[in-house]
Amino acid sequence: MYGATVDPIEDIRSDEEKLAEFEARIARGEKIEPGDWMPEEYRRQLIRMISQHAHSEVVGMLPEGAFITRAPNLRRKLILIAKVQDEGGHGQYLYHAAETLGATREEMLEALLSGKAKYSSIFNYPTLSWADMGAIGWLVDGAAILNQTMLAKCSYGPYARAMVRICAEENFHRRQGQDIVITLALGTPEQKAMMQDSINRWWWPTLMMFGPHDTDSPNSAVLIRWGIKTKTNDELRQSFVDQTAPELMALGLTIPDPNLYYDETSGHWHFGEIDWDEFWNVVKGNGPCNAERMATRRQAHEDGLWVREAMAAYAEKDQS
Amino acid sequence: MTDTQWPRYMVLHQEQDNKPHQHAGTVHAPDAEMALLNARDVFVRRPDCVSLWVVRADLIFTRTQEELALHPDWLGNIQAAGVPTEIYYVFAKRTQKGQFSHVGEVEAENPAHALKMALQQYPAVDGLVWWVFPAKAVLKSTPDDIEAMFAPAAVKDFRDQANFHALSVLRKLMRKQETSNEP
Ligand SMILES: [Fe+2]
Ligand SMILES: [Fe+2]
Ligand SMILES: [Fe+2]
Repeated sequence: MYGATVDPIEDIRSDEEKLAEFEARIARGEKIEPGDWMPEEYRRQLIRMISQHAHSEVVGMLPEGAFITRAPNLRRKLILIAKVQDEGGHGQYLYHAAETLGATREEMLEALLSGKAKYSSIFNYPTLSWADMGAIGWLVDGAAILNQTMLAKCSYGPYARAMVRICAEENFHRRQGQDIVITLALGTPEQKAMMQDSINRWWWPTLMMFGPHDTDSPNSAVLIRWGIKTKTNDELRQSFVDQTAPELMALGLTIPDPNLYYDETSGHWHFGEIDWDEFWNVVKGNGPCNAERMATRRQAHEDGLWVREAMAAYAEKDQS
Repeated sequence: MTDTQWPRYMVLHQEQDNKPHQHAGTVHAPDAEMALLNARDVFVRRPDCVSLWVVRADLIFTRTQEELALHPDWLGNIQAAGVPTEIYYVFAKRTQKGQFSHVGEVEAENPAHALKMALQQYPAVDGLVWWVFPAKAVLKSTPDDIEAMFAPAAVKDFRDQANFHALSVLRKLMRKQETSNEP
C-alpha cells in the first residue's frame, strides 16, 4: 500500500487576498493548476464548459459514424474511421481535464445519458449524403478549430494542454473534409449538386455553433475576465466567415445567405442574421435528431455493459 | 447506474528514445494491465510513441509552486526517519505552457520526503508543479510491445494533415479567381 496522502498544506490567506493573487496570476499569463487556489465560480464554469465539450466530442461521432459503411472507397473509409476514432479520443482527453477539477466520470456520463447535459447542437442535424462528410470536416471541424485554438491558450493548465493535443488532430479532420468538398465540387454535375445541397444544409447550423450574440451570452464576461475565453462568440464567428466564405466560393459553390458580401471598408465579410428561434429550439431538445442521438448513446452504453463487467471480473480474478 | 467508477491511471508517454517521458492524460481501468491497453488506444493513434507508462493517479504526490511558497516551513519540517527507502520517479512542469516531463529519480522514505529530495537533487529544475511516485507502482510497456502496440500507427499516414493537398488547391483557385476578376 502506498501512502500518497499527506496533510494538505493549509492556506491562511483571506478570500480577498486569494482572489487578488489569482487574478494577478491570470493577468501575468500564468496557468492555474489543480492544487492551486481558484474561485468556486471558476471551477464551476470550467466543469460546465469542459464536460459539455467532452459530450460534444462523444455525440459528434454519431453523424459521421453513420457513413462509415457507405464510404465510396477503402481509403476514404479508413480516413473516416480514423477521424471518428479521434473524436472519441477527444472526449476522453476532455473528461480527464474535467476530472482534475473534481467532477467524476460517472456523474458526467450520467448527466449525458439522462439528457441533463448539453452538447453542441450541430450534432442534432442529420447526415443525408456522403457530401455531408466533407461539409462536416470543413465547416464543423473548421469552426471547432477556431474555438479550440483560443481555448489552447486558456488559463486552466489541464484544459489548455488537452486543447493543444486536440487542435493538432483537428487539422487532419478539416483537411480531409476539404479534400472531399474539393473532389465533389470539381467533379460531375451530380457530385457538385450533392455538395451544394450539403453546404446549403450545414452553413447556418455551423454559424450557430459559436453560440448566441455576445449581448445574449450571460457567461461571456466572467469567462473572458478569468482568461478561459480570450475572444467573444461574435469575434470567432466573424473569423470563420472571413476565412471560409471566399474559399467555398472559389470552388464555384454558393453560400445560402443573400446578405453575404465582402465589405471593403471593414475588410470583413458581412453576413445575414442567424435564425435564433431555430437555434434555441434545437438547444431545448427539439432538433431533428436530439432524441435519436440520445437513444443511440444509451444503447451503446448498455451494449458495452458486458465488456465493462468482463473487465471488472478479470481484474478481480487477477488480484485473488 | 450499474457502473462504479474505476481508478484513474496517469499515462506517461515517450515520443523518442532520447526524449523524456511526458504526461499524456489519464484513463480509467480496473487494473494497470488494462490501463496500459486503454492508454494505447486513447493516446497512441499517431506514430509518436516508443514507450508508455501507467501509474495510479492517487499514488502521485503533487505540490504546486504556489503551495510550496505559501508554507516554506512545511518542507523544512520533513525529516528522514531512518526507515527503509525506495525509488521514486520525479516529474515536473517547468514552463507555464509546458507539459509534465520526467526529471529523474530519488530514493526516499515516503512521498513527501521524495519531494524534498527532488527539490534538493534537481535545484536547476524550476518546477511550477512537481509529481513524485514510487517507481514500483508504474506498469511499463516493454520493447516487445512496440511491434504490436505502437508500430501499426505508423502506416496510417492519412492521419497527418500534411498528406492532404486541399490548401494548395484552394490557394491556386483563389489566385485564379482574383486575376479573372481584374478588369
Ligand atoms: Fe474533436
Ligand atoms: Fe470535433
Ligand atoms: Fe474533429
